[in-house]
Parts: sequence; structure tokens; C-alpha cells
Amino acid sequence: MGISVTGVSRSFGAVHAVRDASLEVPPGSVTGLIGPNGSGKTTLLLMLATLLQPDAGSIRIAGFDPIDDTTQVRARMGWMPDVLGAWPTLTVRQAIETTGRLYRMPQQQAARRTEELLAITGLTALAGQPTRVLSRGQKQRLSLARALVHDPAVLLLDEPASGLDPAARADLRALVRRLAGEGTAILVSSHVLSELDEMADAAVYMSAGVTASAEQVARAQSSLRQWRVRALDRAVLASAIAAIGMPAERVALDNVGALLSFADEAEAAAALGRLVGAGAAISDFGPAVGVMEHTFLDLNRDVNRPQPLPTEGGGAA
Amino acid sequence: MSTTLTTQTAADRTEFWAGVRLIIGLELRQRVRGVAWYVLLGVFFVIVGLVTLLLWFATNAIDSGGGGMFSTIIFFVLLLGSLVSPALSGNAINGDRETGVLATTQVTLISTWQLVLGKFVAAWLTALAFLAAALPFLLFAVVLGQVSIGTIAVSTLVLALELGVIAAIGVGLSGIQTRPLFSIVTTYLVIAALSVGTPILFGLAGLATQSTATSTSIDYNWDEQANGETGGQWTCAAPVVTEYSVPRFDYYWGVLAANPYVVLADAAPGTFDDNGNPRDLFGWIAVGVRSAQHPPELNSVYDACADGLGPNDPRPNDYETAEQIYNRSVPSWFVGLTVHLLLGAGALFWAVRRTDTPAKRLPTGSRVA
Repeated sequence: MGISVTGVSRSFGAVHAVRDASLEVPPGSVTGLIGPNGSGKTTLLLMLATLLQPDAGSIRIAGFDPIDDTTQVRARMGWMPDVLGAWPTLTVRQAIETTGRLYRMPQQQAARRTEELLAITGLTALAGQPTRVLSRGQKQRLSLARALVHDPAVLLLDEPASGLDPAARADLRALVRRLAGEGTAILVSSHVLSELDEMADAAVYMSAGVTASAEQVARAQSSLRQWRVRALDRAVLASAIAAIGMPAERVALDNVGALLSFADEAEAAAALGRLVGAGAAISDFGPAVGVMEHTFLDLNRDVNRPQPLPTEGGGAA
Repeated sequence: MSTTLTTQTAADRTEFWAGVRLIIGLELRQRVRGVAWYVLLGVFFVIVGLVTLLLWFATNAIDSGGGGMFSTIIFFVLLLGSLVSPALSGNAINGDRETGVLATTQVTLISTWQLVLGKFVAAWLTALAFLAAALPFLLFAVVLGQVSIGTIAVSTLVLALELGVIAAIGVGLSGIQTRPLFSIVTTYLVIAALSVGTPILFGLAGLATQSTATSTSIDYNWDEQANGETGGQWTCAAPVVTEYSVPRFDYYWGVLAANPYVVLADAAPGTFDDNGNPRDLFGWIAVGVRSAQHPPELNSVYDACADGLGPNDPRPNDYETAEQIYNRSVPSWFVGLTVHLLLGAGALFWAVRRTDTPAKRLPTGSRVA
């Protein structure tokens, strides 16, 4: 149940959009799908959304194969695309209701569900407006409402937060957590990593069409990570850093303070104590980037370098 | 797969058509965009009205009946239908893809067949609105008399079918081609190839294939009596054989059968007046096309001398009337109509194959969503 993907690949002519993707999203959980532009996230989501056939590998959505049991999958899966389209002449209410009818809901049930979703997505005030006058963020919410219309067991969200204001993002986060609490398996792709950090239980990292293996992720997470340090007096801070004997390559001084690299939290905590002991009045001490962003950046460091992909490390290439 | 059209049970069939109806409703709300559409229909109404008025004077309809007027209006509806319909139907599927609503429809429980058929029927209904707008003028022509029930029924039905073929080609090509502009232009080109291309091909091919015909003419001479007396006699001159080339349109008349206007004209039952002349435009076109079926006479003999009658030959010139030509030729409309229907059905079928999801192949440079 939930989403299960094993060894899926898909190419368009000479372009290998997805080379080897594997992931599991159990019911009642939120998994972030993280990767740089062009890493194959959207192609993978299109395959999960029954729109594209994989060249190889297997996919199970709520226990069904998107190729053999397309209808069964569609009845249980909600997809919010990254391209925001809406029937321009329909009102917001009509658009949601029509989507419900396309899912073979009886008229009255579709109408009732529409009112619910208008309230959930905060579109009630706009219900009578034609969809073409909506702003990007409002379209985003309409798109989410359409994906939820048939109460799917599996939800695929492609960049759901882009274009949303902070309040709407908070609402989205709460909604996603609530749906997961009700047992929905949710896969969210996003670039806004800080946000996924708060929303997702797990993350799948994807780069150049390949999902990172667990070992790769563990290695990336245990690599050196930067911590932001600020003190009341920058000159004192600089001399304190020199005094505690931080290796020079792990120190970057800038106009705000310093960025210090540590292997783990224990090392950071120890260094903080020694800095305070050396007389620096520390006002801010914390990780410069979130865990997901750190992992993401570290995993992609290899790819972004001009040299070929490393072949060590198991099922990477 | 979602392409299966075969539905096992009655419940499935009901479900299928309920989905098609849903798409039709959605499509009509989308494409028939309020004001602009009604303005277009209004302009069409005015134009047909003007044409009717001109035909009133041109055909002297009060005396000669409404046949000419009726047939011209039917042709006019087909003309305007083929000018407007491709623009309205030629982006039905790829236009949805461009605006990002195709994929969101395809992930619902609507099958590709339901989607394509719904869009086709909606496009057809849109084109039929033109026929409906022309109805008052058609009725006016019928009231003027001399239009047979057969002509009314057959020509209206065939016109409706031809408008459906145009809609099917437009919707089909919009599913086959990626870019809306290209599919609209291609639809226009296909319609133009059938309407304008066929007579051009027919004419050029006929002229390019010339046969040598011989005409033997045997003249007579008036021989005066040698000694100048009155009276003399007719003598036969030596046969004069002239060779010339004639175009062979009879090889290519089948090309014209694919012309929608010819289909319409040929399908209507021919009605002729006492002199054997057609009563309406349908008849004139049908006679013209059907007369192309007959090979030209390649060895004509003009023997003025045969019976020694000379110029006083009392035999009448046995010219064929239009009615006689019409009756001794084969009708071709059902061949043309069948070709058109197959073309439309083929376009829709191909569109379903191309639009079906989960997609195996994607046209280069296109996105699913």
C-alpha cells in the first residue's frame, strides 16, 4: 500500500530523465522528493500519476500497477501538477465540482465535497470567480483542491508550495500533516527544503535521474556541516577561534561573524564551550543550513563538479 | 488500458456515455465563449440573410421556386462551416495540453475515448449551430415551393454529416499534432485539399492526359450540270480526317467524388423541369460531375453525305438533356461520403492512440502535463 517504486527508468530519446528510481512511501507518512532542476522529479511523478509509462522497473500505487490497473490507481490517487492549468471560463466552484464529476461522483456528492474543499483550501471567498482571474498562489490552492476531490489514499504533490505566501504555506503544511494523520501516503517534491524539513517524515534525494541510496544519504549527512557563529565583537571572536585551535580550512570569517565546519553536533557543542571559555561573547550559534539542504547540497556536489559521476558507493550510476 | 471502447454491460455503457456527456458540457462551456460566439453566429445569420435576399432576385424565386435558393444556402452553410469549424475544433486537444488542463483531466476516471469523443461531439454541435442559424432561410426557401422532401432531407443530413467530418478531422489533428497553430492550419489544408484541391487536381490531370481523337468529315459538293442547265446533283466529297487532342476527364471523375460540395450535390435526388434542366444548384453540379464520367467520342464521323440528303437533313439534332446525362451515369456521393467518414473516424482513432495515457511515446518537444 502507499507508494512503492523499484528500479524505475524512463528516457525520452537520448535524454535519460529517470535512470534508476526506487522509493517507498507508507500510508500515513509524508516523503519529500528532493533534487535539483532537471533531476527527473517531475518525470517520476508523471509515471506515478499514470500519465507516463516507465521503460523499466515497477510501480505500485495503493497496491495497483499504473499500467495494468490504470483505473484502479486513478480512483485512489490525487495529483497536483507543477503546471497550473484550470478551465479558464469556469468558476472556482465549477472547476472543483466538474473534477469531482469526472471522478464519477454523483452531482450532489460532488457539490458537497466542493464546499468542503473550498473551506479547506481557503477559496470560499473566491468560489464564484472565474479561474482565469486567480493569482498564482490561488491557482495553486485550486489545484490542490482538485487533487483532493475524490479523497485519495495516495497524494502526489509537485512543487505545491511555490507561489504561496507564508500564511498559505503554513496552512498547506498543516493540511498535509493532517492528511498524513488520516492515513494518506503523500509524496511532495519541492525546492523549498526548509519547508520539507518541517513537513516530511522522510526524504528521497534524486539527482541526474537516480535516487540516492541510504548509504549515500548517511555519508552525506555525516560530512562536515557549517555552523553560523555570531559574537558581540567580531575581532574578539576571530582571536578566540584562533585560540581554540580550529583548523584554518574549517573556518570562514565574514562580515557577520564566522562559519565553522563540524563533523557532528558533539564537536560543535564542544567548540562552543571552548569559544566561550576563550572570552568570545557568542550571540548566535547554530547550523547554517537545515539537514535536508545540507544532504541535498552534499549529494549534488559530485554532480555539479565537471568530473564524471563517482562510481564507488554501490547503486549510484 | 483505458482505450477499450468495448463495454461489457449496460451499466458500463451508461457510465461511458455519462462521461462523454460531461466532456461535451465542459467543452461547450469552454469553447463556446459567451459573447464572441453569439456575435459570430449573429454575423453568420446576417450574411446568410443577405445571400438569401440576393438569391431572391438572382433566381427569380417567386416564379421558379425555392430550389436554387435552398441549395445555395446549404452550400453556403458548408462553406462557412468549413471556414469556422477548424478554428474552433483544431485545438481541442493540444490547446488543452498547452493550458495545462489535459493531464489533470486524464488522471481522472475519464478514458481517452470519452475525452476525444466528447470533444468531437462538442465540436460537431458547435458547427451544427450554423445550420440551425440558417434554418429560417432554408424554411423560407422551402415555402417558395418546388423543393422536394427528398432534397430537404438528404441534403440537410449529408450537410450535417460533412460538418461532423470537419469537426472530427479538426479534433483528430489536434490530438495528433503537438502545436495548436499547426493543427489548425493542417485542418484548413485538409479541408482545402478536399474542397479546392480536388477540382484543381481533376482539371490539371484531365488536361495533362490528352487523347488523340479523329474526326472524319464527309462533305458534299453541289455539282452544277456541265452544260449549264438548271438542276444538278449532290456528290459526296472525299472524307477529310482531322486529328486533334482531347482532355480525358473521364479518367479522373473519381477525384471529384471526394469533394464535399460534390457529395452534397450528388446525394440530393435530382429534380428536373420539363426541358430536362435541373431545378437547383445541386442538380447542375451533379450533372456537371456526372457528365465527366463519359469518355469523349474519339472517332467521330460527321457524314453529311450518308443518305444523300445534303443540308436538308430533316433529322433533329439529338442533344442529350441534362436529365438524360444524369440518369445514364453512376452516382458517386456514397463513395465520397464513405471516404470522408473514414477520414474523420481515422483521425479520431489516431488522436486517441496519440493521447492515450500512460503514454509510451511522446512526440518530441512535448510534455505530458
